[in-house]
Amino acid sequence: MAVTLPEGDLQTRLESYLDGFKNRHGLEESVVEGNVVRVAVEPGFVPAVLATAREALGIMHLAFITVVDRMGSFEVHYELLDLRGGIVRVKTTIQGEEPVIDTVTNIYPTANWHEREAYDMFGVAFKGHPDLRRTYMWQDHFDHHPLLKSFEISTRRTFEGLR
Amino acid sequence: MQTVLNLLEMEPIRFFIAFGAILFLVLNLAAILVMAERKVAGYIQLRYGPNRVGWRGILQPLADIIKLFTKENVAPGRADLWIFLGAPIALFIPAVLVWIVIPFAPGAVVADLNVAILFFVGVTSIGALGVIMAGYGSRSSFSLLGALRGAAQMISYEVPLILSLLGIVMLTGSLSLVDVVNAQGDTFWSWYFLPQFPMFIVFYIAGLAEVKRVPFDLPEGESEIVGGFMIEYSGMTWALIQAAEFASMGLMSAITTTLFLGGWQPPLPFLDLGQFNWFWFGIKTALIMFTFQWIRWSMPRLRMDQLMDFGWKILVPACLIWLFVTAGVMLIIPG
Amino acid sequence: MLKDEKRVESITLSGRESVRLANPDVRDEFGLETLDMNMGPQHPAMHGLLRLILELDGETVVRCDPVMGYLHRCQEKIAENRMYPAVIPLTDRLDYFANMHNEHGYVLAVEDLLDVEIPPRAEYIRVLMCELMRLASHIPSLGFLMLELGAFTPILYCFRERERIQTIFEAVTGARMMFHYIRIGGVKADLPPDIPQKIWDYIEGLEQRFQSDFVDLIQGNEIFISRTRGVGTMSQEKALEMGLTGPPLRCTGVDFDIRRDYPYSIYPELEFDVITDQAGDVEASYRVRIAEALQSIRLIKQCLEKMPEGEVMGDLGRRLRPAEGDGFGRVESPRGEFSVHVVSDGSDTPYRVHYRDPSFCNMQLLQEVIPGHYLPDIMPIMGLIDPVSGGWDK
Repeated sequence: MAVTLPEGDLQTRLESYLDGFKNRHGLEESVVEGNVVRVAVEPGFVPAVLATAREALGIMHLAFITVVDRMGSFEVHYELLDLRGGIVRVKTTIQGEEPVIDTVTNIYPTANWHEREAYDMFGVAFKGHPDLRRTYMWQDHFDHHPLLKSFEISTRRTFEGLR
Repeated sequence: MQTVLNLLEMEPIRFFIAFGAILFLVLNLAAILVMAERKVAGYIQLRYGPNRVGWRGILQPLADIIKLFTKENVAPGRADLWIFLGAPIALFIPAVLVWIVIPFAPGAVVADLNVAILFFVGVTSIGALGVIMAGYGSRSSFSLLGALRGAAQMISYEVPLILSLLGIVMLTGSLSLVDVVNAQGDTFWSWYFLPQFPMFIVFYIAGLAEVKRVPFDLPEGESEIVGGFMIEYSGMTWALIQAAEFASMGLMSAITTTLFLGGWQPPLPFLDLGQFNWFWFGIKTALIMFTFQWIRWSMPRLRMDQLMDFGWKILVPACLIWLFVTAGVMLIIPG
Repeated sequence: MLKDEKRVESITLSGRESVRLANPDVRDEFGLETLDMNMGPQHPAMHGLLRLILELDGETVVRCDPVMGYLHRCQEKIAENRMYPAVIPLTDRLDYFANMHNEHGYVLAVEDLLDVEIPPRAEYIRVLMCELMRLASHIPSLGFLMLELGAFTPILYCFRERERIQTIFEAVTGARMMFHYIRIGGVKADLPPDIPQKIWDYIEGLEQRFQSDFVDLIQGNEIFISRTRGVGTMSQEKALEMGLTGPPLRCTGVDFDIRRDYPYSIYPELEFDVITDQAGDVEASYRVRIAEALQSIRLIKQCLEKMPEGEVMGDLGRRLRPAEGDGFGRVESPRGEFSVHVVSDGSDTPYRVHYRDPSFCNMQLLQEVIPGHYLPDIMPIMGLIDPVSGGWDK
């Protein structure tokens, strides 16, 4: 059973992705830049938007999930590839120090370990994740999330003196 | 002087001296085979192999032995100590014991048993016991898996091994290895590997499996169960297991030579060296051992289910078919 | 109970484990218990420091749970405390079997932020080095696969080629493994004058002995075929669901290669084929890697032929302060898609660096594919993915 990958002109495809997102979710601030469709959504709508991307628009591949600690809020980037030149970047911002967001593992099963990693490194709790354990750090007796900006490291350096 | 010689030829004393010589031979054989194995591996793998100790690394086995003797012998804390320590001995004794029935040269055999083939089959199957003891005594899941694999493999391949011997027993009409060698004659086309060629192949393959060499080294399987039943051994116990492995490899080569390649018989009549015919025996055994090592360094490993399929579905039927063929031919052409 | 775990509403253990914990006496239909086994991290045949918690029913694996983190260095955190150029040597330590690709991915991400002009000669040198690196990664991976099947010899033939390529790297970059060669805005130094000829000679020689050393030696072996055919088979849907990229994805037949579909550097100007295979098992991945190595040889030849003259370093300031924003770099590493996401806050250190390492993502396959296989099949499946410890542990 072969998977059909999207075909046709890249620009029309990107436009159709954009239209798809706008029609279904009313994401008016979405834009096409180069080969990228940028989508900014509220955290609650992420699973719905990604479900649209996968089921309706046929974007098969979730490349990665990046979490950025903005000190007070968390940005979560989802990078989706349609494997034929088109990229969809879904960005959401979670307010607060203790982020919670719905999982997308039921839409993109590959998100499993990406979300585990995000949980490990940032403490982002993915609701409904089937197996939310730490990937890298100790499973128990380690109660920190190292990539948080509040996690100080002893070799913190500044380069202010340099020119 | 003559009385001393006569005394030495008296039965128990002669036996003990000869057995001591065999023990000496087997232990040295193991050391030399380790060296040969590493050299063969080296040349197959575009490198030199050991070449630091002595001339071209010829003293490497000595260095290995010194290292192994001085190494601490570690046993796992929860090991069943008696079984754990008994396993190397249980592996080593059968590997040495069978050598006593092998004729090295005309008249040079420690014990000319009239059931030598039966003795060989019986004693080699004790080796499976050693494997199980090693795996069970170590109390490690890797060892246990290795031991289970080893037991299953050795018992399964015992069947084609025995069946492939039956043709020779039928042709010779005797179970004595001396008779088998004498029956083969001093020309290489009269040796049993030609009339019994399928049996020879089956015996060779089953022998490979019996001594746990690649592609049948599943009990060791170092890429999945890291040495299997011998994973917990170190120092001299490990050395004893290795010696047993190499001794049984040499044994299998020697038995193959004796049964199928004419034993000490020279390949052509004018090459007969009389009492020094052990030279031919040595040459043939070394060649078989080299093929073992050649296969060892150029083949991947089989999987357990494929191993069993191969043994029961190919080797055993092939043996049975050729047994019938042999029997039929013997009926048609008497004598 | 840790503070975060209280927040997570549904921390559940993976299926079988939860059953076992709820009912510790769980037995199968014969009243026999399963055997728990721990493979790694010190397992000699394991790729790097991976620990697999296995549950065995005889020789059949019932459950496989990979545990990572034994080589975790938190590179992403270290990168946040370094200036932009100083992160490049760190990326060398990620996937230490294909360092050039890591450098290239990171540099592309920073250049995406900076908007600099890269001299064409530098681009050609980058692609040349990356393709040599792919060769030096694909060929040993065949050897690893054979090593896992129990054959020792091919690995030494494969490492002979890697050593020779490393000698070339040493001449070009000054290092055999940790190159720090691809820099933001170009490459560190021009090729030494005699190196293009040396690379050409080496590639010609490799092409001649490729068939005899890596195909004839391995491909026709009956045991190799029986050990790899049908092992680790996955469908295209499964492969895409698991987020596979690179040879593990292409061996199922999905025609996806970053070099062609998301072109970067000068790949659009070069001719090469994307290799796919239909079977999706270990043997198919072997064939894909073999064919890709030949494509790399083709690319290297084109690079050497088309190599323009000129500078190798773009004009950058001494201190890089990219504008605020996100930079993305995506390269096809030998193991799959290597992506870097760099977030800048306008200062001279990255605000956040995220690596998407193909080893990490491809390893999700283990949980899905290994159950149901025999214990000795685990290692060939690892050979299908060919992960690198530095890659998945960042």
